[in-house]
Amino acid sequence: MNLRKIVIGSAIVLAGVGGLTACGKSGNNASKDGKTTITFWAATNPTQYKFWQNMAKDYEKANPDITIKVSQMKESPTSEATIQAAIASNTQPTMSENISRSFAAQLADSKAIIPLQKEKGFEDLVNKRNMSKTMKNWEFSGGNEYVFPIYVNPMMFAWNTVELKKLGFDKSPTTYSEVEAVAKKMKEENSKKVIWQSPNLTNTTGYQRWFDFFLLYNAASNGSQFVSNNEYKANSKSLSQVYGFMSDLSKVGALNTDKTESPFEKGLSLASATGSWNFPYWHESFPKLQYGKTYDITMPPAPDGTDKSNIKTFADSKGIVVYSKATKKEKEAAVDFMEYVFKDSKNDLAWMKTTSLTPATENATSNKEFKEYFDKNPVMKKYADAVPDAIPAMDNSKYSEIQQAFSEKAWVPVVNGKMNAADAVKETEKSVNNILGK
Amino acid sequence: MQKNNNKLGWLFASPYLIFTALFFLLPLFWSLWLAFTDWNMISPNIKFVGLSNFIKAIKEPAVQSAFFVTYKFLIIFVPIALFLSLGVALLVNSLPKFKGMFMVAFFLPYLSSGVVTALIVKGLTSSNGPLSNFIENTFHVKVDWFSNPTIAILLISFMIAWKMAGYYGLILISGLQNIQPEIYESAKLDGTTPWQRFWKITFPLLYPAFFTVTILAVGISFGIFTEVYQLTGGGPDFATNTWQMEIYSQAFVNLNSGYASAIALMSSIITFASIGVIRKLLEMWGRKNGWQ
Repeated sequence: MNLRKIVIGSAIVLAGVGGLTACGKSGNNASKDGKTTITFWAATNPTQYKFWQNMAKDYEKANPDITIKVSQMKESPTSEATIQAAIASNTQPTMSENISRSFAAQLADSKAIIPLQKEKGFEDLVNKRNMSKTMKNWEFSGGNEYVFPIYVNPMMFAWNTVELKKLGFDKSPTTYSEVEAVAKKMKEENSKKVIWQSPNLTNTTGYQRWFDFFLLYNAASNGSQFVSNNEYKANSKSLSQVYGFMSDLSKVGALNTDKTESPFEKGLSLASATGSWNFPYWHESFPKLQYGKTYDITMPPAPDGTDKSNIKTFADSKGIVVYSKATKKEKEAAVDFMEYVFKDSKNDLAWMKTTSLTPATENATSNKEFKEYFDKNPVMKKYADAVPDAIPAMDNSKYSEIQQAFSEKAWVPVVNGKMNAADAVKETEKSVNNILGK
Repeated sequence: MQKNNNKLGWLFASPYLIFTALFFLLPLFWSLWLAFTDWNMISPNIKFVGLSNFIKAIKEPAVQSAFFVTYKFLIIFVPIALFLSLGVALLVNSLPKFKGMFMVAFFLPYLSSGVVTALIVKGLTSSNGPLSNFIENTFHVKVDWFSNPTIAILLISFMIAWKMAGYYGLILISGLQNIQPEIYESAKLDGTTPWQRFWKITFPLLYPAFFTVTILAVGISFGIFTEVYQLTGGGPDFATNTWQMEIYSQAFVNLNSGYASAIALMSSIITFASIGVIRKLLEMWGRKNGWQ
């Protein structure tokens, strides 16, 4: 055999071995010497990684038979793609956080994750953490609970109260007619400002609708399903109201979709849809922004006549899943670890202090443990109050395509003032059904 | 002796061959297989779907946009890149001193990250950014940098051309330095103007370097991603959507791996074919001007 054949042969063998290794390598560690080792992938955010490292250390002290290997999820190119590649190469962890309800639907569709309610101790954990109402929102078609939500960030509206007062409004607007009245006054005074400014309003990437459309839709429809059981279920009346509202704002020039650095923070727009993660950034970069003094936080504007005590919004929310590939012992250890962390509200408080993300517990505002924190951070209390009214993303594996499709066909044309509400409702139904194969 | 040299050659080439087999050939064959399936890389069920991914891609407006937008980039970016890099090369070559230092300075943008460049441009062109403010205050014109597709493509083309000009300029400088000074001297004695010397001597004799730079620039046009991803996301209404942007969206946002592989294969074929045609045209032009 000559060297040429050896080299080519080696290349082919190595390529094959590489491929097989990728297919066969396991991310899990089976029990060794009576010890169970589980792997936990934390989100890319360093603060979340630090939190989980500390929790794992504490848990290992209390449970010497279980080892938890915490590592940071890669976000290259996206955390979802990292998990996708891990599953394809059979190197997925035992459990991971940072999973949205929509991505969980994809994973559940492919049987890559387990229904948690079937695991011993899970329902008990849900009760102990006071999150039954939240879990109801997270329930998947078929009654399964695939994700244990860690945090629920209700998306709320921030209003520049200084500018509102200048225009003669003492309270932040909460209904469509109140917002339109502010817009009208602004235009009468020839203000260059707008109500809502964000380039993402016309960005058709699917997930962008979580930060504009779904706030308004959930507020208008009392949290009605948009897609459920692979069927288009949107409430046409609410949809028409949302599109009508955005169309009206567009017509009077109260929307701006130019690429702008921090338009709300710099006072160019009066409102901004925001999650609680923004506050540490505001505190550092825009210290003049102060809750109760220069800005107010409200639920998203709703159509006139909506019961103001029961407004819903979108929940930017993520949680933990356990992968199907884990052994029985590993699954038990995973649920036990979750129970260890979340049965104690001190850990939820530590989570909120570390990450500024609202824990998915419904009694945070009445829990004495949180009192001191909320006294110091009243804006976070507002978010914690809204947790039970925050609806997570749809449970459909094609969520990204669905949201992109109606963004292109309806939402963006409405925002640009090129489509009326009635046509947008029709286009939404048509484009979503097209993706659902109906 | 011949046999020994062959063995040594193969031995030295083996790291590259193994690397290529592992990281290019294997993924290529895998991608070929994926393109004919509906696999999302998660599901245990893999369905062979024949040509349906390709048929879907041809009908999809986003893919059609990627096809046309790439040619728009090619038509705009390649001339800008050639013009800028020729300018850099002529400027640096004419310097009496510090040629190396200036060339390094022009080469630096090539080493910078596309993400960083895009973020700087994003900051400059945001509606409350310094460039937008300057234009609005001085000329009372509001520029829709990224809402207007033509301006967006122009701006992105300029950005990439600025980044690549130093690298392409380096290739052109080596071409310039290969031209014998005696040719210019005799042309001067014949009373030619600088303009005539450029068009009749410099430009034709730079053909090999131009050939390389043009082919490289054409290749770049088919691989534009970072700047578009950072600045426009392919919008407005897919007006800046490129092949790479569409492949990324389908593979890593929608997790449609099979469909994304089909688009990737289509883009590869179109890229190879386009570069092949442009190469042939350049060779024909070269032959017409005495280059073999």
